[in-house]
Amino acid sequence: MFFLESLDMQQYSLKEKAEKSDVATKVADAEEVENSASTSSKEVVTEEVETPAPLVESTEVPPAVAEENTEANPVAENSVEDAQVAAEESNERTKESSGDAEEPPEIKLETAPADFRFPTTNQTRHCFTRYIEYHRCVAAKGEDASECDKFAKYYRALCPGEWVRIFFQEL
Amino acid sequence: MIVLEWLFLTIAACDAAEPWQLGFQDAATPMMQGIIDLHHDIFFFLILILVFVLRILVRALWHFHYQKNPIPQRIVHGTTIEILRTIFPSIIPMFIAIPSFALLYSMDEVVVDPAITIKAIGHQWYRTYEYSDYNSSDEQSLTFDSYTIPEDDLELGQSRLLEVDNRVVVPAKTHLRIIVTSADVPHSWAVPSSGVKCDAVPGRLNQISISVQREGVYYGQCSEICGTNHAFTSIVVEAVPRKDYGSRVSNQLIPQTGEA
Repeated sequence: MFFLESLDMQQYSLKEKAEKSDVATKVADAEEVENSASTSSKEVVTEEVETPAPLVESTEVPPAVAEENTEANPVAENSVEDAQVAAEESNERTKESSGDAEEPPEIKLETAPADFRFPTTNQTRHCFTRYIEYHRCVAAKGEDASECDKFAKYYRALCPGEWVRIFFQEL
Repeated sequence: MIVLEWLFLTIAACDAAEPWQLGFQDAATPMMQGIIDLHHDIFFFLILILVFVLRILVRALWHFHYQKNPIPQRIVHGTTIEILRTIFPSIIPMFIAIPSFALLYSMDEVVVDPAITIKAIGHQWYRTYEYSDYNSSDEQSLTFDSYTIPEDDLELGQSRLLEVDNRVVVPAKTHLRIIVTSADVPHSWAVPSSGVKCDAVPGRLNQISISVQREGVYYGQCSEICGTNHAFTSIVVEAVPRKDYGSRVSNQLIPQTGEA
């Protein structure tokens, strides 16, 4: 298994450069680009603009769940905030109360949206591209930029945990 | 007695295979409904053709029996009939192909953005499921293994070689993305009443998108020979109402976060 995936990784790292420029031309419609920080940040911005889908989903889906949650725990304030923040909060809360907490963490039904770049059954590159996008975003905007949380969410939704661990070793 | 037993089983598990079953299981997704409809549409014409061909065959055997008609007419050529019997059979598959391809491509298409992603990872010989939409870091995630319950541990009403210890809980009437992959050898994630059969290939992520239309428990089995315990690698999907799903997942998340 490790052999197979490391083989995959080699292929990926070879193709990485091509992939980057490919995505950039698709998204930003740019001229010749090399992978400088400015182009990647620009790309990230356009990416944000063009995907309104998860926002729509998040406004449309949660009411049932959110209501349910207010019933369950009156402590949690249900302002429409980022799921990351909410999850972190609940994580901290459960840590503080150590163990059998009565407050369940908020569950928001949203995930990585369907991506027009990966319309087929094979989603291997989708996972990998989202992982790269996250790290490019972090490289461009800094470690704790909130814009990058979105990409982190996407790659966590798409990549198996085992893969993420192997990706992390390769970083 | 046996009939009663069958009846009981039929009542017990509507979305699992039953003894002597010939037809499909009840459809739980629009996809499966489409498959069943296509099957029935094609079968209608299939039966017509079968009856027609059988009629010709039996008629020929009857009329050209050696006692009844010892010296048959010796026709060796008939242009009209030859054209007809070439053209018609080649048109029929074309008419079958149109709805078939329409269904095939619509099954592949992801029309709306999915609301949850579930990863089904095949192992020898169990399955791991990951719910990672609710993570805030790489480490913690709602992950569990799903083993088939051994025959000796079965409780009354549970199906042999179908029931598992941890079911996959999904919300009903919600668009799901299921990412199927494998950690060792090729497996296949198949749930008949959802109309899903997706190969799990190591190093590759396959996506299927389904929307379960009714609450229930759906049974499936591994559908790619994956080793000695291939027959003991079953799949159980439990569809619950959307609001229950939230509480189910958050209840399972608590021990996870507690440990972390």
